[in-house]
Amino acid sequence: MLSKEEFINNTKLGKILARKCTKCGHPHLVTTYFCQNCGNKGFEDILIEGKGVIVTYTIITVPPDGYEKYVPYAWVVMKIDNSELRISGFMGGIRSPADLPLGTKVKVTGHDERGIIIEKQ
Amino acid sequence: MEKVCVIGAGSTKYGKLEDSITDIALKASVDAIESAGIEPKQIQAGYISNVFGIADKQVHLGPVIMSNLGIPEVPSLSIESACGSGSVSFREAYANVAAGFYDVVLATGVEKVTHTGTEWTTTYFSYCSDFFYEGGAGASFPGLFASMARAYLAEFKATEEDLAMVAVKNHDNGFLNPKAHLRKKITVDDVLKSAVVASPLKLYDCCPFSDGASAVILCSEKFAKAHSKNYIEVIGSGRGGSPAALQGREHITTIPSTKIAAQAAYKMAGITPKDVDFAEVHDCFTIAELVDSEDLGFFEKGTSVQAVREGRTKLNGDISINPSGGLKSKGHPIGATGIGQVAEVFDQLTGKAGERTVKGAQIGLTHNFGATGASCAVHIFKSV
Repeated sequence: MLSKEEFINNTKLGKILARKCTKCGHPHLVTTYFCQNCGNKGFEDILIEGKGVIVTYTIITVPPDGYEKYVPYAWVVMKIDNSELRISGFMGGIRSPADLPLGTKVKVTGHDERGIIIEKQ
Repeated sequence: MEKVCVIGAGSTKYGKLEDSITDIALKASVDAIESAGIEPKQIQAGYISNVFGIADKQVHLGPVIMSNLGIPEVPSLSIESACGSGSVSFREAYANVAAGFYDVVLATGVEKVTHTGTEWTTTYFSYCSDFFYEGGAGASFPGLFASMARAYLAEFKATEEDLAMVAVKNHDNGFLNPKAHLRKKITVDDVLKSAVVASPLKLYDCCPFSDGASAVILCSEKFAKAHSKNYIEVIGSGRGGSPAALQGREHITTIPSTKIAAQAAYKMAGITPKDVDFAEVHDCFTIAELVDSEDLGFFEKGTSVQAVREGRTKLNGDISINPSGGLKSKGHPIGATGIGQVAEVFDQLTGKAGERTVKGAQIGLTHNFGATGASCAVHIFKSV
């Protein structure tokens, strides 16, 4: 099993460490132990380019503890290019929906106390 | 399997309550026991749902409640399943009676959080998400549903006004419910002008944080027939799951666990969505009611918004959705909500719903989920 630490280190390189089922090829984020498609336990690591497009998002104005200083900010879901996977994370500098149309090209750039960091390409 | 009935129900008012978590849970439990016309000694097990007992310095609520009902020897199960705790607990109670382990059980749900303040609740509720990807990246619960809303509005050409109409409808119903937390009528304009919490959701798109407790008594049909003239039958029970994080779902505008739970409940009941007279659905945010109504099969995907525009989901419309006022107006004490929905169905089908009565109703459905629908239970009830 791959660690969150390895996953996080790869986000800093703009990559997403994922796992591909050795039986059916279904891709998962690293934290999955069994294939959600076929139940198989065997996986191989795959490194995916952390680029994609915005599927949906929100702009948070009433934040959880620790995020007050970042308000307003976006929490986004991106579809990863050339993959069935989606990944979500924190995106700063977004004040209104005009700043981030659906379909905007974005990339994973790291992980810190704000969580997985996603930025515009 | 034994047929299972609900023979009694009780609820505190939902809102900001002064009494302790134990006291309000007991009040609802005693009301349910008296409503059922039984003695506590007849109860063989307790199912107690709660999420944030820690906020009022009391977890492991089961034995505390049983002891205070004078039945410390009776086993209990304390259950947490986020905002779906109540319905999941009801399901466990149902399954144990259906399996013949017990004849009579108590299911009580309770929550006490309003004294903690908005920051505490916003933060602790976010722990119900898949934290590494969601709460741990700054997503509040309104934010997760706001993300669903943005995707829905874009995909189905709906508007923020449409979302607001759901809130207005539920406040109209809640206005008729003496136990509702936000017992006031509102307008579309009120919703649109309220403060943005997580774009595109505004304050009046969101249910309130509530305190409250609800309780019901479940029993075998044999016991109900012998001890009561005023009871309802559970004719369908279904549960389902979804990927815990929104990112794991192929379609963000649908909740897989609702569909799975509903299909199981309809199949067991031998009915279709068209047979349902009214439904208490999980409208934690206005967008959720639109998504739920489609996932439960009341409307085709993308068309619930049209049904709301046409008033078809109003009290005594084609299908009355959330006659109680729903989570939006009645309130959302998260551990109690799923049990409170059953209490509403009990009141509706036994002639106790007063001004908000769904006329001629015989079949009612409850739908309650945890988090963004990661866990879900659906139950269907019939008047006897």
